[in-house]
Amino acid sequence: MRQLLSLLFLAIAFVGGSCRRQASVATPSCCAKPPRSSAFSVPAPLTPDASIYQLPGVWLDQHNHSVSLNTLKGKVQVVAMIFTHCGYACPRLVQEMKDIEDSLSASQRAGVGYVLVSFDTRRDDPARLQQYAEEQRLDGHWVLLHGNAEEVRQLSMLLNVSYQPAADGNFNHSNAVVILDRQGTPRQTLEGLSSNAALAIRTIGRLETQ
Amino acid sequence: MKTLVALSLLCCSMRLPAQPSGMVRIPGGVFTPFLQTGARPSKITVADFYLDKHAVTNAEFLQFVRANPSWKRSCVTRIFADSNYLQHWAGDLDIGDPRAANSPVTNISWFAADAYCRWKGNRLPTMTEWEYAAGAAPVHYKGRANTRHDLSRLILEWYDHPAPSILPPVMSTYRNSFGLYDMHGLVWEWVEDFNSILPANGGPGPFVCGAGSIGTANKEDYAAYMRFALRQSLRAEYTVRTLGFRCARDIAPRDIVKK
Repeated sequence: MRQLLSLLFLAIAFVGGSCRRQASVATPSCCAKPPRSSAFSVPAPLTPDASIYQLPGVWLDQHNHSVSLNTLKGKVQVVAMIFTHCGYACPRLVQEMKDIEDSLSASQRAGVGYVLVSFDTRRDDPARLQQYAEEQRLDGHWVLLHGNAEEVRQLSMLLNVSYQPAADGNFNHSNAVVILDRQGTPRQTLEGLSSNAALAIRTIGRLETQ
Repeated sequence: MKTLVALSLLCCSMRLPAQPSGMVRIPGGVFTPFLQTGARPSKITVADFYLDKHAVTNAEFLQFVRANPSWKRSCVTRIFADSNYLQHWAGDLDIGDPRAANSPVTNISWFAADAYCRWKGNRLPTMTEWEYAAGAAPVHYKGRANTRHDLSRLILEWYDHPAPSILPPVMSTYRNSFGLYDMHGLVWEWVEDFNSILPANGGPGPFVCGAGSIGTANKEDYAAYMRFALRQSLRAEYTVRTLGFRCARDIAPRDIVKK
């Protein structure tokens, strides 16, 4: 029985694993996610002053330039929090963002940016982020940000991303791609690792005209 | 002779590291986190740290708001605090009922608590630090020696009673063996990484459900379930009438990346 259980755990680790080293427990049915609504809308922001660009702080981008979040203003931004040593979930998030970029029409592309923010304040310095951008073939529309631990935690609060450092230097984290409107207000969150590029593209189309 | 004593006092006081006022040095130790996530070892070592002896009071928070007008009730940005922020105060810089001055400040968001601690040169305690510090047994609660079992009973008794309209003052419930007051029994408290709770399935959703107890260190620690469920339900801009905070500080300066 015990062997059967551990086999089951292994199977889950293989199929459903993320950046975690081990799968923790099987998903009980009561914890299962509700089916995603297929109805399409971009909900209005809850408050008029909900831009995350109000977060003070100076970040470093992959070119080692100091930037404030406010420099992202003016474009629709597609944002994810990742770390570059992440083996499984983060590459999928990045791939989803690349899929979004590839699916946009030529006229749309100039108005959309892509932002990756690292949890890993220790290892993901600007040089490492630059290397990652090259490995992933990220173009000039992408900004990769290194911040200090406080800034990263504050931003995670605004994006509603959960994360926890693991003992081995990696991070457990929830998976989300957040779409910000041109003022920096989160307007849609694509949660989990199933691709939602089509939904994102419709959202971006609407937000670009706002 | 007098000068000699004064001199020796001076040299001793210079050599001793300054104990931040109002804080208690918590000796580190090995701690078994309540939530066992699989990615962390089942026991973690906590380093020494300082923690406020009691929760931040309304009067203390008023000083912060005076010094930082952007945290006034009428000025605060909505993403940093919801519309109930400091709603129990009579005005921007008016606590209202003077009896509340020494009560823990509540109706403050995580962002406000975080900003207060930074203003003081401190930080919020991590969830691990807070749980480690709060797990210590009460000292002479109800006039006798106490154990961790008494702590559970104390917490459940607290849960049993609705919070009064004016919260009792700080240092009015019990002191624990670390010398900390009211770690339970007065208000809930924000922690720095309250949003680090990840449900077992890696997606959004409650972790407390039928089979959820698989991942906990003590399946009978109901009080801890309540605490973790509350944290899970929070967002950083939320304010709650029974949720306050206290600050922590590293013993050695924290490794902060300066740019």
